[in-house]
Amino acid sequence: MNSNLPLEKEAGGSELHPSDNEVSASQQHGTVPSQLANAEPLQHGAMATYALVDGEASIISANPEFSRLLDIDAECSQLSFLEKLEQRYPENANELASALSDTNSSTIELQITSNEHCRLNIAAIDSDRRLVVLEPIKSGHSEIEHVKLSLIDPLTQLGNRRQLDIFLESWQSADGKQVAALMLMDLDRFKIVNDTLGHGIGDTLLKVVAQRARRAIRDDDLIVRLGGDEFVIVHTNKDQSSGSVEKVAKRLVEMISRPFLVDGHQIGIGTSVGIAVLGDETKNVADLMRHADLALYESKSKGRGTYSFFEQTMEQNALRRRDLETSLRRAIGLKQFSLVYQPQVQLSQGVVTGFEALIRWNHETLGLISPMDFIPLAEETGQIVSIGEWVLNTACKEAVKWPEHLNVAVNVSPVQFESESFVNSIQDALTISGLQPNRLEIEITESVLINNPEAVFKQLEKIKEMGVSIAMDDFGTGYSSLSNLSNFPLSKIKIDQSFVRGEQTEKSRALVNAIIALGVNLGMDTLAEGVETQDQYMQLANDGCKAAQGYLISKPLQAASIEKFISDQSFNSVKIDP
Amino acid sequence: MSNAIYRLIYISNNCMEGSNAEMQNEIQCILEFARKANSAAGISGALMFNNGCFAQVLEGPQGPLEETFERIQCDMRHDSVVVLSYEEIADRGFDNWSMAYVGYNADSLREFENIKTESGFDTDAIPAERIFEILQEHLIDAENDKLAA
Ligand SMILES: Cc1cc2nc3c(=O)[nH]c(=O)nc-3n(C[C@H](O)[C@H](O)[C@H](O)COP(=O)(O)O)c2cc1C
Repeated sequence: MNSNLPLEKEAGGSELHPSDNEVSASQQHGTVPSQLANAEPLQHGAMATYALVDGEASIISANPEFSRLLDIDAECSQLSFLEKLEQRYPENANELASALSDTNSSTIELQITSNEHCRLNIAAIDSDRRLVVLEPIKSGHSEIEHVKLSLIDPLTQLGNRRQLDIFLESWQSADGKQVAALMLMDLDRFKIVNDTLGHGIGDTLLKVVAQRARRAIRDDDLIVRLGGDEFVIVHTNKDQSSGSVEKVAKRLVEMISRPFLVDGHQIGIGTSVGIAVLGDETKNVADLMRHADLALYESKSKGRGTYSFFEQTMEQNALRRRDLETSLRRAIGLKQFSLVYQPQVQLSQGVVTGFEALIRWNHETLGLISPMDFIPLAEETGQIVSIGEWVLNTACKEAVKWPEHLNVAVNVSPVQFESESFVNSIQDALTISGLQPNRLEIEITESVLINNPEAVFKQLEKIKEMGVSIAMDDFGTGYSSLSNLSNFPLSKIKIDQSFVRGEQTEKSRALVNAIIALGVNLGMDTLAEGVETQDQYMQLANDGCKAAQGYLISKPLQAASIEKFISDQSFNSVKIDP
Repeated sequence: MSNAIYRLIYISNNCMEGSNAEMQNEIQCILEFARKANSAAGISGALMFNNGCFAQVLEGPQGPLEETFERIQCDMRHDSVVVLSYEEIADRGFDNWSMAYVGYNADSLREFENIKTESGFDTDAIPAERIFEILQEHLIDAENDKLAA
């Protein structure tokens, strides 16, 4: 019944479950369009009749209908809002006074005229301020419609989105000069809790998170739950600098990262926070939400569990990303992708053994776009799955044309392993092209082994059973432990070029030798990437590294140049001029 | 099921500043509060403070235990809380203590000195069971000392 969850990473996908904590598609911070679509402030606010009241029950801001509907004199400045109400509605005086001082939300019904009633929804914004929203009661108005007009999130008892919208609108019309910051907070790894422990525990966790977050922020901050695992904190205070905003954000991130105990389970989650401060970067209250959302995106791409302040460049980057995403979607159809092939040689004899296939994207207006720029985006949006299939198919079809002793290596993204059909797509590429399985090698990165190792292990075993070999790419840059490596069916370790290229330091040399030794130990070949000079080549050969690739041997070649490259090698042996 | 007893063992990093005496004073306050609240909630346990970090064992029924822990989690007097174990147990180990305390400089606490590293805690250096044992051993020592005196 106890479980210590090794919650490592937020799973992708967006299955919807009928639960209170359901994360709706518009709240998923995976892809660019949805995160822009998320920002729709002041939606309900514009439709509400409200007043924002301070600790002395005086009105900070209200729309004109408010006083008119309640039939109180807005102009009279002798009396406070509460006194006016008490005068106009003497029977409700006590109820009104206690509701306005209470920090819990409440609802009061008032009879405005002989046949007209209204409801006042009173919500505590913080220890002092109250938001009073007036709602006429029409005959035939169902309870459900009143629930929709609520200001409170029923699960956590925090404010809800409607409360936030009305508050921002009222606050905007009050005093734009105050310091205000909006923090958008999104839980990390929450989906895994829902998926593995169930929605009941997910809901309970959200309640505890809400309480903990409430304690992490200041008494005069507003906190609401937007829905799913998203919360918003509004920090409005005259005496404050943006330094105090940062302090609160830091505390939030730290406190939510502390373990939670829920129903006998220990749960480790975290939170990412995006902050927009009214002032230099964000001019209007209406932009706060969108800017905080962009800053949240930044926090998530920095690896989560952190906070970021909005900066103008984030907006441009988001637009660029969105354009790129649109182009990326069309790129396969428009045949803008191509593959180039970098030769790999066996070091002792200098024999070419095969080629690594590398993707190139030739954009119609932007020209060549580096895979470093578009692969992460494709992974984020899931397009990597179809791009990955295209690469596999194209590389296999090309390799069939080469002499039989030459192999082809294809890079595979961790995201491809999340798709059920990944193993099948390798099989399909082999079948369609007619390539012998032992001539195909897939290159995986360390991060694959870290997320969900059991599932990946099973897939790798199947791939190996087909006769396809598996290489570990960029080794040494990730965080997988060396001991972990022996459990996986790998046949090759590729030493990352950062340890090979340029002037070798003592440290990188030691690392390279350690990896070579590890390869010998585990019975795996080692291939050094980024070999540029004769010296590096000789050194690696002497140290016992099995194979290499890099500019010294050849830069990546167009498919059409491969035949010539192979026939130019006398006895297929690479000539390296001294 | 409902009267099942759980045991929680965690370590955390002290955030309070001040002289030794001020620290002792603050810890005394924590203990006084804890003893009152814990006995009301049916919770027993022990707290250790050494080398800038806390280790605490809490035992009790699941609901009250989780509530108490949540309050402790919101306490800014410590941070970097790491839960070492949380499981159902057959018998309480600190039956007679609403919150026993093991303070500074006890010899048996030397072991704890390895746990704190530059980057945080080395939780491999000292397993949860060992913390539990040390706290228990130490309380038995204290009992014996009292009897001898
Ligand atoms: C290291 C440490 C251990 C604590 N142990 C307990 C405890 O066992 N029981 C308890 O009720 N409070 C304990 N507290 C105090 C709580 O953190 C908190 O201050 C207290 O429960 C009051 O919470 P409240 O302010 O939410 O009412 C401990 C605090 C610290 C720093």
